[in-house]
Amino acid sequence: MGLLCLYVTMIDVLCSAIGLIPIDCLQHQFMQQALLGLLLLVPMTAVLGVEVVHFRMAFFSDAIGHSAFAGVALGLILSLDPRFTMLAFGLLVGLGIIALQRRSNISSDLAIGVVFSAVVAFGLLVVSRTPGTARNMQQFLFGDILTIGPDELRFLLCLLPMVFLVQLFGFNALLSVALNPVMARAHGIHVAFWQYLFSALLAAVVIFSVWAVGVLLVTALLIVPAACARNISRSLRGMFWWSIALSMFSAFLGLVLSAQPWLSSATGATIIVINCLFFVLSTLSGRCLKGRRA
Amino acid sequence: MAKNALDLAHIFVEFSGNKVLSDVHASIPEGGLTVFVGPNGAGKTTLLLCIMGEVPYRGEIRFHPDIRGYIGYVPQNLQTQTYTPITCAEFLGMSFSRRPLWLGMSKAGRAAVARVLGRVGMEHAEKRCISELSGGEMRRILLAAALLRSPRLLLLDEPAAGVDMRGERLFWDILDDLRTREKITIVMVSHNLSLTAHYASHVICVSRGRCMEGTPHAILTAQNLMTIFGIPIHLYPDQCALSHDLCPMCGAFSMGSDVPSETAVCDCKPPSVRN
Repeated sequence: MGLLCLYVTMIDVLCSAIGLIPIDCLQHQFMQQALLGLLLLVPMTAVLGVEVVHFRMAFFSDAIGHSAFAGVALGLILSLDPRFTMLAFGLLVGLGIIALQRRSNISSDLAIGVVFSAVVAFGLLVVSRTPGTARNMQQFLFGDILTIGPDELRFLLCLLPMVFLVQLFGFNALLSVALNPVMARAHGIHVAFWQYLFSALLAAVVIFSVWAVGVLLVTALLIVPAACARNISRSLRGMFWWSIALSMFSAFLGLVLSAQPWLSSATGATIIVINCLFFVLSTLSGRCLKGRRA
Repeated sequence: MAKNALDLAHIFVEFSGNKVLSDVHASIPEGGLTVFVGPNGAGKTTLLLCIMGEVPYRGEIRFHPDIRGYIGYVPQNLQTQTYTPITCAEFLGMSFSRRPLWLGMSKAGRAAVARVLGRVGMEHAEKRCISELSGGEMRRILLAAALLRSPRLLLLDEPAAGVDMRGERLFWDILDDLRTREKITIVMVSHNLSLTAHYASHVICVSRGRCMEGTPHAILTAQNLMTIFGIPIHLYPDQCALSHDLCPMCGAFSMGSDVPSETAVCDCKPPSVRN
């Protein structure tokens, strides 16, 4: 109960602090909550994105994102809160893919592809049999960060320290596993433990990202900032911090710009477009730097 | 009597009903450079992975008590993309540093990295990205990563595959140095028979799931190599037919042939290629 009060107070204080920014649109409470939600979410997607890029798991995160669709459908069938079923189903799918990869001789792409197809087909099947649900599904396809409320912010405040702790104690191990699992095992790293933990964490963050940018753009939120950072960094440390900085800046800029009357666009899509612009710029600047070095 | 670093007894490995290794017996002498040789698909890498516990097997692998827990592994390569912004120092830090790399490396960590880079002749590579290294340099960085854990047994899976002669020779030189100076037991898979004959102290020849072992001179005979690879390979001058100026099997000059003496019998030690 004490922790809950602490979180409520923290959210109020942080929203008030955002209100001090002299930008008109940020004077509304829903916008303050949306910005707080994004600023809590995108550092997580940014750091996990660095690992996703090294693990070559972009397709994996896409499958998890699409499992949100089936998770919502499952919630509709079982009359449960879709937020809960989405998360539970996402975790199940993430851990299931890793288990399938580890225990069978089918390739990673094939395992993800089969699960991906199964979850999307299941979601569509349920939606097609339940009239009137297609409209509800739109939110999960396109996302809407502006509808984020105190419950979701509290969840993000819990998730952020968990991601931070895993990065603090497991960053080196995760990268080692990504580069060569056999070598990592020889170095005393418990490969299975880190693979399952990373998948669970990634699933939780991806499912929450679906709320912000929708199923269609969730992978972009993970990999585009990491890809930008990769273009301009000369070290892993640089890639890590650049990824966080670029994703936070894009989120802030995307939210503010999408709320301007002359643009009035979907927030998630605006954030991703800005991220992609940064990617183009970083690719060009990366080439210039390489040219100079050569 | 020399101790064995490990003994392999009655090792059987099957993948989906296919016998890969069948009743393999072998010993790996402590402090030696043991090389697994044999044709592709013979089960050399499988045997190496059995030692590492990566492949399920029947039989027994007995480690010397001093070795257990001190095993280093050098893979063929890393699963990286075309460009990966990981510096050599960061890659090496990954293997031993508890501090996350995004916080930077400690002074002690940087010193340890500099020391190990010196051991593999890569002193100036600290800030270079691993994706910018040549094949030979990459293999030396992988070796450095294994050395950071102070192994007593070093396992290498075709560490010089795809590396040019100069790079491969340098790599074997470094391994030989580690073996003689630091008494590290080295076990590696290799297809380079001439360097095996030159550097190895013990050879385990794996073919058709079975194996034979001994000194390079005893195992890498023309007859054995003909049986295993199906082509004439003479690694030692005394294996060639002495009645001919040129060996009719491999085309090498025989010891007594009328050719310039430096070609016929060359006992000079090749110049070191380390720089």
